[in-house]
Amino acid sequence: MPDFEPITGRYLSIPLEGKPHRIFVEEAGSGIPLLCLHTAGADSRQYRHMMNDPEVLARFRVIAFDMPYHGRSTPADGWWLAKYRLTTAGYLAMIRAVWETLGLERPVVLGCSMGGAIVLKVAAEFQDELTGIVGLESSAYAPGRYNELLHHPAIHGGELAASYTYGLNSPYSPEASRRENWWYYSQSGPGVYQGDVYFYSIDWDGREDLKRIDTNRCRVALLTGEYDYSCTPAMSESVAAAIPGSRLTIMKGMGHFPMIENYPGFRPYLLQALDHVAA
Amino acid sequence: MSEYPGSAWLARYRERVNKDPELGVIGDWFTTTFGLTFGDHRYALRVEKGRIAEIVAAPRLDVRMSFGFRAPVEVWRKFLSRDPPPLFHDFFAMLMRVPEFVLEGDSLAAMQNARALHRMMNLMRETSHA
Repeated sequence: MPDFEPITGRYLSIPLEGKPHRIFVEEAGSGIPLLCLHTAGADSRQYRHMMNDPEVLARFRVIAFDMPYHGRSTPADGWWLAKYRLTTAGYLAMIRAVWETLGLERPVVLGCSMGGAIVLKVAAEFQDELTGIVGLESSAYAPGRYNELLHHPAIHGGELAASYTYGLNSPYSPEASRRENWWYYSQSGPGVYQGDVYFYSIDWDGREDLKRIDTNRCRVALLTGEYDYSCTPAMSESVAAAIPGSRLTIMKGMGHFPMIENYPGFRPYLLQALDHVAA
Repeated sequence: MSEYPGSAWLARYRERVNKDPELGVIGDWFTTTFGLTFGDHRYALRVEKGRIAEIVAAPRLDVRMSFGFRAPVEVWRKFLSRDPPPLFHDFFAMLMRVPEFVLEGDSLAAMQNARALHRMMNLMRETSHA
Protein backbone atom coordinates (compact mmCIF):
# COMPACT_ATOMS: atom_id res chain seq x y z
CA MET A 1 0.00 0.00 0.00
CA PRO A 2 1.28 3.50 -0.74
CA ASP A 3 2.14 5.43 2.37
CA PHE A 4 -0.47 8.16 1.96
CA GLU A 5 -0.84 10.89 4.53
CA PRO A 6 -4.34 11.32 6.03
CA ILE A 7 -4.80 14.67 4.24
CA THR A 8 -7.39 14.94 1.47
CA GLY A 9 -7.25 17.92 -0.88
CA ARG A 10 -10.15 19.07 -3.06
CA TYR A 11 -11.28 22.06 -5.06
CA LEU A 12 -14.27 24.08 -3.95
CA SER A 13 -16.23 26.96 -5.45
CA ILE A 14 -17.03 29.81 -3.07
CA PRO A 15 -18.96 32.99 -3.85
CA LEU A 16 -16.98 36.12 -3.18
CA GLU A 17 -17.70 39.69 -4.26
CA GLY A 18 -20.35 38.40 -6.62
CA LYS A 19 -18.02 36.01 -8.43
CA PRO A 20 -17.36 32.31 -8.03
CA HIS A 21 -13.85 31.55 -6.83
CA ARG A 22 -12.18 28.19 -7.28
CA ILE A 23 -10.17 27.49 -4.17
CA PHE A 24 -8.15 24.58 -2.88
CA VAL A 25 -9.17 23.08 0.46
CA GLU A 26 -7.47 20.28 2.32
CA GLU A 27 -8.54 18.52 5.47
CA ALA A 28 -7.92 15.64 7.82
CA GLY A 29 -9.47 14.27 10.99
CA SER A 30 -12.93 14.43 12.46
CA GLY A 31 -14.73 16.25 15.22
CA ILE A 32 -14.81 19.94 15.98
CA PRO A 33 -14.11 21.93 12.78
CA LEU A 34 -10.75 23.67 13.06
CA LEU A 35 -10.43 26.15 10.20
CA CYS A 36 -6.80 27.19 9.68
CA LEU A 37 -5.61 30.40 8.00
CA HIS A 38 -2.16 30.60 6.42
CA THR A 39 0.24 33.53 6.59
CA ALA A 40 0.76 36.32 4.04
CA GLY A 41 2.04 35.16 0.68
CA ALA A 42 1.93 31.51 1.72
CA ASP A 43 -0.59 28.68 1.46
CA SER A 44 -2.20 25.86 3.36
CA ARG A 45 0.86 23.62 3.20
CA GLN A 46 2.03 25.43 6.34
CA TYR A 47 -0.47 23.27 8.26
CA ARG A 48 0.75 19.92 7.00
CA HIS A 49 2.15 18.86 10.35
CA MET A 50 -1.07 19.62 12.22
CA MET A 51 -2.96 17.66 9.58
CA ASN A 52 -0.71 14.68 10.22
CA ASP A 53 -0.91 14.74 14.01
CA PRO A 54 -3.06 11.82 15.25
CA GLU A 55 -3.82 13.48 18.58
CA VAL A 56 -5.16 16.60 16.85
CA LEU A 57 -7.03 14.60 14.19
CA ALA A 58 -8.76 12.43 16.79
CA ARG A 59 -10.56 15.47 18.12
CA PHE A 60 -10.66 18.00 15.30
CA ARG A 61 -11.58 18.13 11.65
CA VAL A 62 -8.62 20.24 10.55
CA ILE A 63 -9.38 22.26 7.43
CA ALA A 64 -6.98 24.62 5.64
CA PHE A 65 -7.54 26.45 2.38
CA ASP A 66 -5.43 28.43 -0.02
CA MET A 67 -6.77 31.97 -0.25
CA PRO A 68 -7.58 33.20 -3.76
CA TYR A 69 -4.30 34.12 -5.54
CA HIS A 70 -2.40 31.74 -3.23
CA GLY A 71 -1.17 28.19 -3.60
CA ARG A 72 -3.49 26.17 -5.80
CA SER A 73 -6.42 28.61 -5.66
CA THR A 74 -7.14 30.60 -8.77
CA PRO A 75 -7.76 34.35 -8.73
CA ALA A 76 -11.26 35.26 -9.92
CA ASP A 77 -11.86 36.05 -13.58
CA GLY A 78 -10.53 39.50 -14.46
CA TRP A 79 -7.70 39.38 -11.93
CA TRP A 80 -5.32 40.93 -14.45
CA LEU A 81 -7.27 44.20 -14.28
CA ALA A 82 -7.02 44.64 -10.53
CA LYS A 83 -4.04 45.26 -8.29
CA TYR A 84 -4.11 42.62 -5.58
CA ARG A 85 -4.83 44.26 -2.25
CA LEU A 86 -6.23 42.24 0.65
CA THR A 87 -8.50 44.25 2.93
CA THR A 88 -10.00 43.55 6.32
CA ALA A 89 -13.51 43.41 4.86
CA GLY A 90 -12.50 41.18 1.95
CA TYR A 91 -10.52 38.83 4.17
CA LEU A 92 -13.38 38.48 6.64
CA ALA A 93 -15.88 37.84 3.83
CA MET A 94 -13.61 35.17 2.36
CA ILE A 95 -13.32 33.28 5.64
CA ARG A 96 -17.07 33.50 6.13
CA ALA A 97 -17.68 32.23 2.58
CA VAL A 98 -15.49 29.17 3.15
CA TRP A 99 -17.10 28.58 6.55
CA GLU A 100 -20.66 28.81 5.16
CA THR A 101 -19.96 26.85 1.98
CA LEU A 102 -18.50 24.00 4.02
CA GLY A 103 -21.35 24.28 6.54
CA LEU A 104 -19.01 24.33 9.53
CA GLU A 105 -20.86 24.35 12.84
CA ARG A 106 -19.28 26.26 15.71
CA PRO A 107 -15.75 25.98 14.37
CA VAL A 108 -12.53 26.95 16.01
CA VAL A 109 -10.80 29.39 13.68
CA LEU A 110 -7.01 29.37 13.94
CA GLY A 111 -4.78 31.75 12.05
CA CYS A 112 -1.16 32.79 12.00
CA SER A 113 0.30 36.25 11.43
CA MET A 114 -2.20 38.04 9.22
CA GLY A 115 -4.42 35.04 9.97
CA GLY A 116 -3.73 35.64 13.64
CA ALA A 117 -4.86 39.21 13.13
CA ILE A 118 -8.09 38.47 11.29
CA VAL A 119 -9.18 35.80 13.77
CA LEU A 120 -9.62 38.66 16.22
CA LYS A 121 -12.06 40.26 13.78
CA VAL A 122 -13.73 36.89 13.20
CA ALA A 123 -14.25 36.60 16.96
CA ALA A 124 -15.59 40.13 17.24
CA GLU A 125 -18.11 39.65 14.44
CA PHE A 126 -19.21 36.03 14.87
CA GLN A 127 -18.58 35.13 18.49
CA ASP A 128 -21.95 33.44 18.98
CA GLU A 129 -21.28 31.07 16.09
CA LEU A 130 -17.79 30.02 17.15
CA THR A 131 -16.32 27.58 19.61
CA GLY A 132 -13.29 29.81 19.82
CA ILE A 133 -10.26 31.23 18.12
CA VAL A 134 -6.57 30.42 18.31
CA GLY A 135 -4.41 33.36 17.33
CA LEU A 136 -0.83 32.55 16.41
CA GLU A 137 1.33 35.66 16.36
CA SER A 138 -1.77 37.82 16.82
CA SER A 139 -1.60 41.57 16.64
CA ALA A 140 -4.36 44.14 16.57
CA TYR A 141 -2.21 46.70 14.80
CA ALA A 142 1.01 45.88 12.98
CA PRO A 143 2.50 48.67 10.87
CA GLY A 144 5.93 48.42 9.30
CA ARG A 145 6.02 45.33 7.09
CA TYR A 146 4.87 46.93 3.83
CA ASN A 147 7.42 48.23 1.35
CA GLU A 148 7.41 49.04 -2.35
CA LEU A 149 10.37 46.82 -3.21
CA LEU A 150 8.31 43.71 -2.45
CA HIS A 151 6.81 44.06 -5.93
CA HIS A 152 9.34 45.62 -8.28
CA PRO A 153 10.32 44.68 -11.83
CA ALA A 154 14.03 44.75 -11.02
CA ILE A 155 13.72 42.36 -8.07
CA HIS A 156 12.86 38.67 -7.92
CA GLY A 157 9.76 39.00 -5.76
CA GLY A 158 9.70 35.36 -4.69
CA GLU A 159 13.28 35.38 -3.50
CA LEU A 160 12.84 38.69 -1.73
CA ALA A 161 9.60 37.69 0.02
CA ALA A 162 11.15 34.39 1.10
CA SER A 163 14.35 36.01 2.36
CA TYR A 164 12.50 38.93 3.95
CA THR A 165 10.44 36.47 5.99
CA TYR A 166 13.17 33.89 6.70
CA GLY A 167 14.45 35.73 9.75
CA LEU A 168 10.94 35.72 11.18
CA ASN A 169 11.70 32.12 12.03
CA SER A 170 13.52 31.55 15.28
CA PRO A 171 17.24 30.85 14.81
CA TYR A 172 16.62 27.79 17.01
CA SER A 173 14.05 26.16 14.73
CA PRO A 174 15.27 23.26 12.60
CA GLU A 175 16.93 24.54 9.44
CA ALA A 176 15.08 22.14 7.16
CA SER A 177 11.73 23.43 8.41
CA ARG A 178 12.74 27.07 8.08
CA ARG A 179 13.94 26.36 4.56
CA GLU A 180 10.66 24.63 3.73
CA ASN A 181 8.76 27.76 4.64
CA TRP A 182 11.25 29.79 2.56
CA TRP A 183 10.36 27.60 -0.39
CA TYR A 184 6.62 28.14 0.06
CA TYR A 185 7.18 31.87 0.28
CA SER A 186 9.26 31.87 -2.89
CA GLN A 187 6.28 30.50 -4.81
CA SER A 188 3.72 33.24 -4.34
CA GLY A 189 2.52 35.15 -7.40
CA PRO A 190 3.78 38.61 -8.32
CA GLY A 191 2.71 41.15 -5.71
CA VAL A 192 0.70 38.68 -3.66
CA TYR A 193 2.85 38.88 -0.54
CA GLN A 194 2.85 42.66 -0.84
CA GLY A 195 -0.94 42.69 -1.32
CA ASP A 196 -1.36 40.62 1.84
CA VAL A 197 1.01 42.85 3.78
CA TYR A 198 -1.12 45.77 2.65
CA PHE A 199 -3.84 44.24 4.83
CA TYR A 200 -1.52 43.33 7.67
CA SER A 201 0.41 46.57 8.00
CA ILE A 202 -1.82 49.22 6.45
CA ASP A 203 -5.52 48.32 6.38
CA TRP A 204 -5.73 46.30 9.57
CA ASP A 205 -6.49 48.00 12.86
CA GLY A 206 -8.51 45.78 15.18
CA ARG A 207 -7.86 47.67 18.40
CA GLU A 208 -11.49 48.71 18.74
CA ASP A 209 -12.80 45.30 17.65
CA LEU A 210 -10.98 43.59 20.50
CA LYS A 211 -13.19 45.34 23.01
CA ARG A 212 -16.25 43.51 21.68
CA ILE A 213 -14.85 40.01 22.16
CA ASP A 214 -16.57 38.21 25.02
CA THR A 215 -14.66 35.12 26.06
CA ASN A 216 -17.74 33.74 27.76
CA ARG A 217 -19.21 33.36 24.28
CA CYS A 218 -16.05 32.64 22.29
CA ARG A 219 -12.89 31.26 23.89
CA VAL A 220 -9.62 32.92 22.92
CA ALA A 221 -6.14 31.39 23.02
CA LEU A 222 -3.09 33.32 21.82
CA LEU A 223 0.38 31.94 21.13
CA THR A 224 3.31 34.11 20.13
CA GLY A 225 6.95 33.23 19.50
CA GLU A 226 9.73 34.86 21.47
CA TYR A 227 11.69 35.57 18.28
CA ASP A 228 8.81 37.03 16.30
CA TYR A 229 9.85 40.54 15.35
CA SER A 230 6.81 41.23 13.15
CA CYS A 231 4.27 40.53 15.87
CA THR A 232 6.41 40.85 18.97
CA PRO A 233 5.41 39.29 22.28
CA ALA A 234 4.63 42.81 23.50
CA MET A 235 2.14 43.27 20.65
CA SER A 236 0.29 40.07 21.57
CA GLU A 237 0.42 41.04 25.23
CA SER A 238 -1.51 44.21 24.40
CA VAL A 239 -4.08 42.09 22.51
CA ALA A 240 -4.46 39.77 25.50
CA ALA A 241 -4.76 42.70 27.89
CA ALA A 242 -7.70 44.01 25.85
CA ILE A 243 -9.56 40.67 25.92
CA PRO A 244 -10.41 39.67 29.51
CA GLY A 245 -10.40 35.91 29.86
CA SER A 246 -8.08 35.28 26.94
CA ARG A 247 -5.10 32.98 27.37
CA LEU A 248 -1.74 34.14 26.03
CA THR A 249 1.42 32.04 26.04
CA ILE A 250 4.77 33.30 24.79
CA MET A 251 6.55 30.39 23.14
CA LYS A 252 10.19 30.27 24.20
CA GLY A 253 12.65 29.99 21.32
CA MET A 254 9.89 30.12 18.70
CA GLY A 255 9.44 32.47 15.76
CA HIS A 256 6.60 33.75 13.61
CA PHE A 257 5.65 30.48 11.86
CA PRO A 258 5.30 27.93 14.68
CA MET A 259 3.18 25.37 12.81
CA ILE A 260 5.75 24.98 10.05
CA GLU A 261 9.11 26.16 11.45
CA ASN A 262 9.17 23.84 14.47
CA TYR A 263 6.11 21.63 14.85
CA PRO A 264 7.55 19.42 17.63
CA GLY A 265 8.32 22.54 19.65
CA PHE A 266 4.96 24.08 18.86
CA ARG A 267 2.84 20.99 19.50
CA PRO A 268 2.61 21.15 23.32
CA TYR A 269 1.56 24.80 23.14
CA LEU A 270 -0.97 24.01 20.42
CA LEU A 271 -2.55 21.14 22.34
CA GLN A 272 -2.94 23.32 25.42
CA ALA A 273 -4.46 26.13 23.37
CA LEU A 274 -6.91 23.73 21.72
CA ASP A 275 -7.83 22.34 25.13
CA HIS A 276 -8.51 25.87 26.29
CA VAL A 277 -10.79 26.85 23.42
CA ALA A 278 -12.57 23.52 23.06
CA ALA A 279 -12.91 22.71 26.76
CA MET B 1 38.93 50.96 22.24
CA SER B 2 40.01 47.89 20.28
CA GLU B 3 38.59 47.25 16.89
CA TYR B 4 35.58 44.95 16.66
CA PRO B 5 35.24 42.44 15.12
CA GLY B 6 38.76 43.08 13.83
CA SER B 7 40.88 42.27 10.81
CA ALA B 8 41.57 38.66 11.78
CA TRP B 9 37.82 38.05 12.06
CA LEU B 10 37.24 39.66 8.66
CA ALA B 11 39.85 37.40 7.10
CA ARG B 12 38.11 34.36 8.60
CA TYR B 13 34.77 35.69 7.44
CA ARG B 14 36.05 36.03 3.88
CA GLU B 15 37.37 32.48 4.02
CA ARG B 16 34.07 31.18 5.39
CA VAL B 17 32.03 32.98 2.73
CA ASN B 18 34.28 31.87 -0.08
CA LYS B 19 33.99 28.20 0.75
CA ASP B 20 30.24 28.30 1.37
CA PRO B 21 28.48 25.72 -0.81
CA GLU B 22 25.19 27.60 -0.78
CA LEU B 23 26.69 30.83 -2.06
CA GLY B 24 28.24 28.70 -4.76
CA VAL B 25 24.69 27.83 -5.80
CA ILE B 26 22.95 31.18 -5.37
CA GLY B 27 25.75 33.72 -5.77
CA ASP B 28 26.24 33.86 -9.54
CA TRP B 29 24.67 37.31 -9.90
CA PHE B 30 25.87 38.79 -6.62
CA THR B 31 28.59 41.11 -7.89
CA THR B 32 28.87 44.46 -6.18
CA THR B 33 30.75 46.33 -3.48
CA PHE B 34 29.02 46.94 -0.20
CA GLY B 35 30.03 48.47 3.09
CA LEU B 36 30.11 47.20 6.66
CA THR B 37 30.58 49.79 9.37
CA PHE B 38 31.24 48.60 12.91
CA GLY B 39 31.07 51.71 15.05
CA ASP B 40 33.86 53.94 13.71
CA HIS B 41 35.45 51.26 11.56
CA ARG B 42 34.34 50.94 7.98
CA TYR B 43 35.12 48.29 5.40
CA ALA B 44 34.27 47.79 1.76
CA LEU B 45 33.57 44.23 0.64
CA ARG B 46 34.14 43.72 -3.05
CA VAL B 47 31.96 40.77 -4.03
CA GLU B 48 32.28 38.87 -7.28
CA LYS B 49 29.77 36.16 -8.06
CA GLY B 50 28.97 35.57 -4.41
CA ARG B 51 32.59 35.43 -3.26
CA ILE B 52 34.44 38.15 -1.37
CA ALA B 53 37.27 39.16 -3.71
CA GLU B 54 38.66 41.87 -1.47
CA ILE B 55 38.05 43.62 1.82
CA VAL B 56 39.19 47.21 1.88
CA ALA B 57 39.68 48.69 5.36
CA ALA B 58 38.89 52.38 5.82
CA PRO B 59 37.93 52.86 2.16
CA ARG B 60 38.59 56.27 0.67
CA LEU B 61 36.38 58.13 -1.77
CA ASP B 62 37.63 56.20 -4.78
CA VAL B 63 36.05 52.97 -3.48
CA ARG B 64 32.52 53.05 -4.83
CA MET B 65 29.88 51.16 -2.87
CA SER B 66 26.30 50.42 -3.84
CA PHE B 67 25.00 50.01 -0.31
CA GLY B 68 26.14 49.24 3.20
CA PHE B 69 25.14 48.29 6.72
CA ARG B 70 26.12 50.50 9.63
CA ALA B 71 25.59 50.02 13.35
CA PRO B 72 27.30 50.68 16.67
CA VAL B 73 29.60 47.92 17.90
CA GLU B 74 27.18 46.91 20.67
CA VAL B 75 24.53 46.13 18.04
CA TRP B 76 26.94 44.03 16.01
CA ARG B 77 28.01 42.19 19.17
CA LYS B 78 24.42 41.11 19.74
CA PHE B 79 23.93 40.13 16.09
CA LEU B 80 27.12 38.06 16.13
CA SER B 81 26.57 36.44 19.51
CA ARG B 82 26.07 32.70 19.70
CA ASP B 83 22.62 33.19 21.20
CA PRO B 84 21.40 36.42 19.64
CA PRO B 85 18.60 38.13 21.53
CA PRO B 86 15.25 38.53 19.75
CA LEU B 87 15.23 41.43 17.26
CA PHE B 88 19.02 41.12 16.86
CA HIS B 89 19.01 37.67 15.28
CA ASP B 90 18.58 38.69 11.62
CA PHE B 91 19.46 41.73 9.57
CA PHE B 92 15.88 42.20 8.37
CA ALA B 93 14.76 42.06 12.01
CA MET B 94 17.25 44.76 12.91
CA LEU B 95 16.22 46.90 9.94
CA MET B 96 12.67 46.81 11.26
CA ARG B 97 13.23 46.99 15.00
CA VAL B 98 16.73 48.29 15.78
CA PRO B 99 16.94 51.96 14.71
CA GLU B 100 20.74 52.07 15.11
CA PHE B 101 21.15 49.40 12.44
CA VAL B 102 21.00 51.22 9.14
CA LEU B 103 20.95 50.21 5.49
CA GLU B 104 22.81 52.94 3.63
CA GLY B 105 22.92 53.62 -0.09
CA ASP B 106 20.89 51.96 -2.80
CA SER B 107 18.36 49.66 -1.14
CA LEU B 108 17.28 48.42 -4.57
CA ALA B 109 20.75 46.95 -5.15
CA ALA B 110 20.63 45.34 -1.70
CA MET B 111 17.19 43.82 -2.23
CA GLN B 112 18.02 42.58 -5.74
CA ASN B 113 20.62 40.45 -4.00
CA ALA B 114 18.50 39.72 -0.96
CA ARG B 115 18.87 35.96 -1.03
CA ALA B 116 22.65 35.82 -1.40
CA LEU B 117 23.16 38.90 0.76
CA HIS B 118 21.08 37.38 3.52
CA ARG B 119 23.11 34.19 3.37
CA MET B 120 26.35 36.15 3.45
CA MET B 121 25.23 38.15 6.46
CA ASN B 122 24.10 35.01 8.29
CA LEU B 123 27.56 33.52 7.80
CA MET B 124 28.90 36.25 10.09
CA ARG B 125 27.54 34.43 13.13
CA GLU B 126 29.01 31.14 11.95
CA THR B 127 32.38 32.85 11.54
CA SER B 128 32.26 33.96 15.15
CA HIS B 129 31.29 30.54 16.48
CA ALA B 130 32.90 28.01 14.14
